[in-house]
Amino acid sequence: MSRLRRFFGTPEAIAGAAILALLIVMALAAPLLFPGDPQAIAGPALLPPFQDWSLPLGTDRLGRDVLAELFHGARTSLAVGLAAAAAALLIGAVVGTLAGFAGGLIDEVLMRITDAFQTVPSFLLALAFVSIVGPSLGVVVAAIALGAWTGPARVARAEVLSIRERDYVAGARVIGMHPLEIAFHEVLPNALPPVLALSSVIVAAAILTEAALSFLGLGDPNRVTWGGMIAEGRTVLRTAPFLSVVPGIALVLTVLGVYLAGEGVVESTAVRRSLS
Amino acid sequence: MSVLAVSNLAKRYHRGGKPFAAVDDVSFEIGPAETLALAGPSGSGKSTIARLVLRLIEPDAGRIDFEDSDFLALSGAALRARRARIQMVFQDPLAAFNPRATVARVLDDPLRIHGIASRAERPRRIAALLERVGLDAGLAAHAIHEISGGQRQRVAIARAIATRPSLIVLDEAVSALDVSVRGQILELLLDLQRRERIAYLFISHDLGVIRAVAHRVIILDAGRIAESGDARAVVTNPQSAIGKALVAATPKLIRNRP
Ligand SMILES: Nc1ncnc2c1ncn2[C@@H]1O[C@H](COP(=O)(O)OP(=O)(O)OP(=O)(O)O)[C@@H](O)[C@H]1O
Ligand SMILES: [Mg+2]
Repeated sequence: MSRLRRFFGTPEAIAGAAILALLIVMALAAPLLFPGDPQAIAGPALLPPFQDWSLPLGTDRLGRDVLAELFHGARTSLAVGLAAAAAALLIGAVVGTLAGFAGGLIDEVLMRITDAFQTVPSFLLALAFVSIVGPSLGVVVAAIALGAWTGPARVARAEVLSIRERDYVAGARVIGMHPLEIAFHEVLPNALPPVLALSSVIVAAAILTEAALSFLGLGDPNRVTWGGMIAEGRTVLRTAPFLSVVPGIALVLTVLGVYLAGEGVVESTAVRRSLS
Repeated sequence: MSVLAVSNLAKRYHRGGKPFAAVDDVSFEIGPAETLALAGPSGSGKSTIARLVLRLIEPDAGRIDFEDSDFLALSGAALRARRARIQMVFQDPLAAFNPRATVARVLDDPLRIHGIASRAERPRRIAALLERVGLDAGLAAHAIHEISGGQRQRVAIARAIATRPSLIVLDEAVSALDVSVRGQILELLLDLQRRERIAYLFISHDLGVIRAVAHRVIILDAGRIAESGDARAVVTNPQSAIGKALVAATPKLIRNRP
């Protein structure tokens, strides 16, 4: 496992991995440590942190347990971030592969569509999509993916354009393989590494977009989200700043952790490639 | 009766905005179990002819008859099915295979695509193909990048014969191999030709190799046929200027090898 050792070679990657691990533990432990409804009232309203040890981080404006909300919010952030990024990478890889491999009119049409999506700011796109379809977890994931697949599509297309000239693609045609099988079975897997290198940035951006949507009240109302907590706390920012600060710090740390860990992975594979 | 008949084939490319002919009015025939060699300096159009004959690129003019039917008229599923009969071996056996493939998958693909053997039967077929080209059947489980260059070229030949073709196009198929391995691969090709009556379109810049394995040779110059005829006769006594130049560039020792 020299690959793992190389990944943990830089302090940034270690920090990123530690934050991510903590986040994953929080997300997984949330229903065990806080089995009740995190949106239910747990005590007196606006209890400051570190006063009552059954409510370590205090309560919000409605008397809900902030620590429970924080843990359950990690679940939402992680789920939405990963699902949206996975959807964006999948759509991008498929569109980019089809465009690059087919060429001609199909390439032209697909890339114009990609251009169109790229010109609209992705946050506005997500905002419009959720306002029209209505807020639910699935819709939020789709809305974020809608604005995030163009980058992977371009990277996949560029990679496919170079791969499709290789001898083994000609070899696959010579043995009579169907063009779709060549595109998705022979070419796509070899075009994936640079596409996957984008995933940390996309996950981080997706987590931020989800928080922003929730902040504007466009998140799933049945889910606790960090963005929603920040928005809630904003109304009592002067008297109880911790209500916004705590989820804000969680958000920043998460995005940083995802980014650092992603960079670590890219770097360790890049080192491996330049060595081989 | 011919396996392949090419007439008036032409392919133009653009270089610096101006069109030029990579292949210009080329005609030839290959009979069953015959080896026709294509020789010529770099850029004379050898690989372009190979790609045209395999329908990897489309000609601007001319006709290709494969097994006495119009090969250029085929498209889609009909073309893919016909490809079982005309195969290719590339120069660089590492580049010719998907870097993620194993030997077994490389040989499984043509058997599966052309419905030659059922899924249950294919491992046996793969083992038989490997043995046919002089490899150990245990090699099937290895990744392509784990085996040697010579073994890889044998796997490439096994893949080419998997669908029982009547013609195999070999584009510099032995040029990247070192001399001892080259001899063994040529021996294997001759043996396959004798037993299975496969015709070869054999592209090489090595006139010594051509003299040893080819029945006839065509010498190309800038996309046109400069000279053609019996391989030994052309190599011993070339008529065209380009033929003389190519022969002069080949060491005498190799030229006169039996
Ligand atoms: N896709 C292409 N676009 C433009 N020009 C091309 C293309 N393919 C080949 N050519 C040109 O066509 C000519 C013939 O090329 P080809 O590859 O057939 O030569 P060759 O005889 O195989 O040479 P070598 O011995 O170096 O392999 C060359 O001048 C080459 O630059
Ligand atoms: Mg060539």
